[in-house]
Amino acid sequence: MLSRVADNLYWFSRYIRRAENTARLVGVSGQLQLDLPRAARFAWRPLIDTVGAGDVFETLYPESEADPSEVDVVRFLLIDERNAQSLRVSVRHAREILRTIRETLPQEVWEAVNDIHLYIEANGERSLGRRYRFEFISRAIDGCLRVSGLLTANVSRDIGYQFLRLGTALEQADMTTRIIDAGASGIVQGRVAESAEAFSALQWMSVLRSLAALQMYRRHVRQRVTPELSLRFLLQNNEFPRSVHFCLSRARNILPSMPVRKPVVTALNKVVAFVRDADAAELVADPCAFMDRIQNHLGTLHGIIHEAYFRT
Amino acid sequence: MDWGRYRSSTYDELIQADGQPRPAARQLVEYLAGLSRRELAERQVAADVAARVMGVTFTVYSEGRNVDRTLPFDLIPRIIARPEWERTEAGLRQRIRALNLFIGDIYGKQKIVKDRVFPAALLKDSVNFRKQCFGVKPPLGIWAHICGSDLVRDRDGTLYALEDNLRIPSGVSYMLENRLVAKRVFPELFETTSILPVDAYPSQLYDTLAALSPRPGDTPVIALLTPGIYNSAYFEHCYLAQSMGIELVEGGDLFVDDDDCTCMRTVYGAQRVDVIYRRVDDLFIDPEVFHPDSVLGVPGLIRSWRAGKVALANAPGAGVADDKVVFAYVPKMIRYYLGEDAILPNVPSYLCAEKKDRDYVLANIAQLVVKPANESGGYGMLIGPRASRRQHEQFRKLILANPRNYIAQPTLSLSTAPIITEKGPQPRHLDLRPFVLSARDIHVTTGGLTRVAMKRNSLVVNSSQGGGAKDTWIVDLDEVT
Repeated sequence: MLSRVADNLYWFSRYIRRAENTARLVGVSGQLQLDLPRAARFAWRPLIDTVGAGDVFETLYPESEADPSEVDVVRFLLIDERNAQSLRVSVRHAREILRTIRETLPQEVWEAVNDIHLYIEANGERSLGRRYRFEFISRAIDGCLRVSGLLTANVSRDIGYQFLRLGTALEQADMTTRIIDAGASGIVQGRVAESAEAFSALQWMSVLRSLAALQMYRRHVRQRVTPELSLRFLLQNNEFPRSVHFCLSRARNILPSMPVRKPVVTALNKVVAFVRDADAAELVADPCAFMDRIQNHLGTLHGIIHEAYFRT
Repeated sequence: MDWGRYRSSTYDELIQADGQPRPAARQLVEYLAGLSRRELAERQVAADVAARVMGVTFTVYSEGRNVDRTLPFDLIPRIIARPEWERTEAGLRQRIRALNLFIGDIYGKQKIVKDRVFPAALLKDSVNFRKQCFGVKPPLGIWAHICGSDLVRDRDGTLYALEDNLRIPSGVSYMLENRLVAKRVFPELFETTSILPVDAYPSQLYDTLAALSPRPGDTPVIALLTPGIYNSAYFEHCYLAQSMGIELVEGGDLFVDDDDCTCMRTVYGAQRVDVIYRRVDDLFIDPEVFHPDSVLGVPGLIRSWRAGKVALANAPGAGVADDKVVFAYVPKMIRYYLGEDAILPNVPSYLCAEKKDRDYVLANIAQLVVKPANESGGYGMLIGPRASRRQHEQFRKLILANPRNYIAQPTLSLSTAPIITEKGPQPRHLDLRPFVLSARDIHVTTGGLTRVAMKRNSLVVNSSQGGGAKDTWIVDLDEVT
């Protein structure tokens, strides 16, 4: 397996997973906003910080300052070509990458990616209004899942496939921490200070929904949604496929089928232990700093994988 | 389909001047006559869909961006009877043997120059002559392993060689795909007619490449070097790499190590490569030797090749023989190296570098086709009878400014074959590009790629200029089916 091709497979699956999570995040936020009681208001700004694009946003939308409008944020996250993290740009990246390695993956994968791409390019503007946004977002999510399904169903489990899985696992771990981050930094704000507590359950339900985790949470936890249990579930649950620990364990299971690279194993073990040993009860008051630290670990891990496999 | 009014102004590949089908085409023509317009249209749609699904595309650069287009495909095959094809094939084998001997001689002792059969002055000005190749002895003494020769047929039915592409000829993937489409559309005919198969090409190409390995005995590691997705033939590069099961690499995937071995960067570490089927032009292949700013190539590749650590197909420098001026000397080469007469005649060429020829060309430019010596893709040429006086004058100036760069040929009345149009079958001009593989053995494709001008009266068949393709059938009338 050529290093370049492995690198591309890894990033292809990362971009598809990133696109899907971005679509989910915007979709759930829009729904939550409609459900909020009058005493609460929805803050869109944290969604921007989620993807680490605060600076870009401020440059592009200077008039929106700390309290940007719904349309600006939705545009920025879904279709803005100038935002390297937008849904549209992620899908474009995935497609461009796939063009260069088309012979490696089944033809149907190309068709599926091309299909989402064409849909987004044609219908993106319409997604800004609430009227069509839900339909747009669910088509985008379905499109990404179709790609994932095709990869799982039709691709041989050779070394290339391991890079696809690795990319998906690390991207999901990263996106999960980012969505927790957004939720915890107050997407729901009480209009008066005291009511904040009351809305935090709503906020966490929204986080769970963004990660398609609410139903699985209920089945697993069998309690109403609390911040601490939600955080623990999303961080450490071993059965839910979008929990950070689950994704990292999956990455660890992949490594034996790849050429052995000691530094990768060491870096991965480090972040697994870091997540496993976290104390949700203690973190729940302010999980953001902890999420940042996981993201830093993941960034380091990515750098080491890059050195070990893609730069030979 | 109604053949009643079908007439061509020149030699037609399927229909004789008296309106009757040629013997090898009789079954096809009768079969098509039995189809209603609707049945025919359905088959054309099926063919277009098949081509799109299979992803038969080429990339054209237009309006500042690259667009993938599907190559227009016409249903009606072009048919050649087997005995005629066998003569043609013998002619192609003879040609490539002489051409390889010529290239080796040019980069070796230059006997042909010393014996005054080939003028030394031509080498000096040839843009495809590579002095870096002097003294190199490539495996088996072969330089042009993959050759695509363009053949055209004139009014009287004679097949002529028009040019030999010895650098990086493309189009063979369309030949293979066209056959798949034709089989889907005309399964009945493939049962009842003896049509020779074309699908041996990928394995013959693999064998040709494998034979060049510097480490005989081991299974060689073979890679196809592509300039990447923005190249017009990228589809073909993927297609061939896949059908041979070899790696598709870009320049950045390869490096040359301290022992002059060429290696691929893989997730397991460096892996040595034995043979490279390169689809990158000479001048971009190694920035240490040629264009220093090329990012498509591999620094040190020429060093590795000269040291015999890696085989390159085609060998760098092979293009010296596909210059349109050198082309005019091929019949002389055949006589000089093989002691034989050319089986396949050359299209007569006038060399503007020679005063007598030049004067003739300048005086008769309105009747001639003028071509630059080293352009491909049909660019930069003048078709005298179709051009304006101003264009004639412009080309006269170009020729006088750089006579070595131009040749002229009589305007052949390229043969035609019917294509399907809304008004029924209509004649269109076409050519034929067979591919010739050379290593221990020489293999010639069964027929080749038939390129057809889709526009009425057009003589330009290049895909970049609106040409399409047809399947090419070599039909054996003697075989009992």
